[in-house]
Amino acid sequence: MAAREQSGGPSEPLPEEHPPAALDVLHLDMDSFFAAVEVQRDPTLVGRPVVVGGTGPRGVVASASYEARVFGIRSAMPTAVARGLCPDAVFLAGRFDVYGEVSRRLREILESATPIVEPVALDEAYLDVSGSHRLVGPSRSIAEALRRRVRDELQLECAVGVGRTKLIAKLASKAAKPVVGPSGVVPGPGVVVVEAADELDFLHRHPVRAIPGVGPRTAERLARFGVSSVGDLASVGRESLVRLLGASSGRALHDLAWGRDSRPVVAERAARSIGHEETFAEDIRDGAVLARRARESATAVAGRCRAGGVEARTVTLKVRFADFSTVTRSRTLARPADTASVIGDAACELLVGLDTGTGVRLIGVHASALVVAEQGRALQLQLFGGEERPGAPSAGEDGDPRDEIEAATEAICQRFGAGAIALLGDQARSGPRSGPAGPVA
Amino acid sequence: MKFRTERDGLLEALATAGRAASTRGAGGPGATSLQLALHGNHLVVTGSDPDLVIEVRASVAGDSDGVVLVPSRLLVDIVRSFEPGAVTLTSDEDEVRITSGRAEFTVRIPVGAEISRLSAAEGEGITLPTTLFAEGLRQVVRAALADDTRAPQLTGVLMVATDAGLRLVATDSYRLAFRDLAGVSALAPGSEVLIPARALAEIQRLVGSGSDGAEGKAEPLVFHHGELDAVFDLGEVQLTTRLLRGPFPDYERLLPASYPNSFTTSRDDLASALRRVRLMVRDTKDATTPVRIAFGDGGAELTVLTAETGRAAERVEGAYSGDELVVAFNPTYLLDGIEAIRSDTIILDVIDSTKPATVRGAEEDDYRYLLMPVRVS
Repeated sequence: MAAREQSGGPSEPLPEEHPPAALDVLHLDMDSFFAAVEVQRDPTLVGRPVVVGGTGPRGVVASASYEARVFGIRSAMPTAVARGLCPDAVFLAGRFDVYGEVSRRLREILESATPIVEPVALDEAYLDVSGSHRLVGPSRSIAEALRRRVRDELQLECAVGVGRTKLIAKLASKAAKPVVGPSGVVPGPGVVVVEAADELDFLHRHPVRAIPGVGPRTAERLARFGVSSVGDLASVGRESLVRLLGASSGRALHDLAWGRDSRPVVAERAARSIGHEETFAEDIRDGAVLARRARESATAVAGRCRAGGVEARTVTLKVRFADFSTVTRSRTLARPADTASVIGDAACELLVGLDTGTGVRLIGVHASALVVAEQGRALQLQLFGGEERPGAPSAGEDGDPRDEIEAATEAICQRFGAGAIALLGDQARSGPRSGPAGPVA
Repeated sequence: MKFRTERDGLLEALATAGRAASTRGAGGPGATSLQLALHGNHLVVTGSDPDLVIEVRASVAGDSDGVVLVPSRLLVDIVRSFEPGAVTLTSDEDEVRITSGRAEFTVRIPVGAEISRLSAAEGEGITLPTTLFAEGLRQVVRAALADDTRAPQLTGVLMVATDAGLRLVATDSYRLAFRDLAGVSALAPGSEVLIPARALAEIQRLVGSGSDGAEGKAEPLVFHHGELDAVFDLGEVQLTTRLLRGPFPDYERLLPASYPNSFTTSRDDLASALRRVRLMVRDTKDATTPVRIAFGDGGAELTVLTAETGRAAERVEGAYSGDELVVAFNPTYLLDGIEAIRSDTIILDVIDSTKPATVRGAEEDDYRYLLMPVRVS
């Protein structure tokens, strides 16, 4: 293996090649979220230093507006210290129900870009957009569009970082933030994309504390060996790091210092699902009718999975009985799927296990444990109909034109809102009381 | 009720009727029970679920008349476990006693059980050519949909009266099979019925015309049907099935008008090669790992490639006319079609990688098996 020449930087050869340079990870971080929400809801606070946090003697700062940061106020600082730095700042206790509501709307915006959203906090999330390029465009466009929507719909600012890995995306979003200097707040670029070729340079410029897992104590220990930047860290041999920090964290830090971050963006299982529920005008007892309805919901779910470029590992059936008691049953698929037949089969198998004789008022199918759809998947074509309606013959000889239409419909609905377009048959079929369901609780 | 009979004959009657009794517990206790009705020396064993009833008549040495319901699976297992010889069955209000040799079983009668009955079909029965009909079933039933929730009408076999006779058609939307039975008139001209494939599979089994050509019961097969049900009489067995409701797909539109590419080869060679390369598909429910067939001069190259398992390839010699092309199929679906052919030489017609292919026998114009490829993107 040829050693890689890097002038001025660490010269240790890469032990292994980088994976393909797809910039598919986004990190979105709201700008001083709690404080900004307060300012947005109370115009008299605009332009003033606002601090949200514990107001008691032992309280700490949860969020500070940029105006407050100019005074040196930072998150996690004791509120008493913050008061000392800026006695004129507005100190608020915080209304977490309000922040939660805004966060929920933020999540909806993020999920319009990709179903694979991993929330880290109310104001921060990772996104895997590898399945979204066909519909939405390159990662930079996705990032800019998200930023625009957050501004337009939430009247809040955020920064988005784009990179090949979570680590790079996170550092990039930080680089996209406004900067507080002695002369005031300098706006940041808003979106920072770190190309794979620039990744190590970018990474190595950061202090070691920028790497997750490096706390004050580790940083101090490293500093004693003259290691202060990530670049310094990268130039320390793997074995030396292991001796210094122990096997697991030594190896982990060495990998991260070389940009090797294999942590996937994982959609949160419970909230990260694609679901479709239908409430019936009249309770249904007939198992065959229920199975058909379950398949209809599965068809809708499958269409949205495909539109989002994801496949489901888990299928959940939700059944609400006439007496409003509700059960959910889940099963894990042999392999991730995005087709109505597989998701429908799973839903129907779950349905068979339930006693529906007392009547059912709602049936829902949810796909969760979503993963990015495998490329180059094989698809068994059908003689007639879409994949979804074997009983309805159509002239389609080349498989599933309906799938394409469904996918296109989904894309339009995602961009312009549900109801912007629907297939005629769907409008007639689904009736007024059905529609996409929210995340599974 | 009390009677005495031979183990073998009784077991056959019970097992046959028991095939209509549900094993899943659907349809209440009646659907998992067999009804035994004795009148003189005539025993009638009935197994039923809401869609299928099988009645078997047997001669026994009757002692006292009566009717009793017994858990199906258990009764069959008990009688099967006996050595060949006499079996005595006695029942009272609460239990049934079954004895053979020194073994004695006392089985409680399921409470509240009642077996379902379908309405008797009306009209004159029509006698079908038993062996021919069963052979048609063997070729067609395989293409019907097994799962009954997605599209119930596809779990049936369509029987259509044609000018030339009777046509049997089945499709699960991925493949379609039809067989023309020349000169067979089972239905009024122009009419059609949709019969559950499950019932027809039982008929096929009862006739016992296996693919090895061994003929089982060649008794006349009498068929009649009403609006809701159809009845088949075969010797001592009567099978009544509920009919399915359409609409059945307009399958005739699906038949390609012409095939530009044609591969002619030995049925057995192609079938064995497919069975070999299919070994690489470890998950039998995996419908997405295809066999890729590259057609070219003098033969076809079969390849199965999976990320987990590895690769298998085999070349099958044959005559090919047409463009060089690669088409992927579900190997099991393709094998189903090939195994349905009677001729030793088969013709595989293809259009391209996304259009239906056809499997047919070289001298077998009365059977077609259509199959959609697997799209590999």
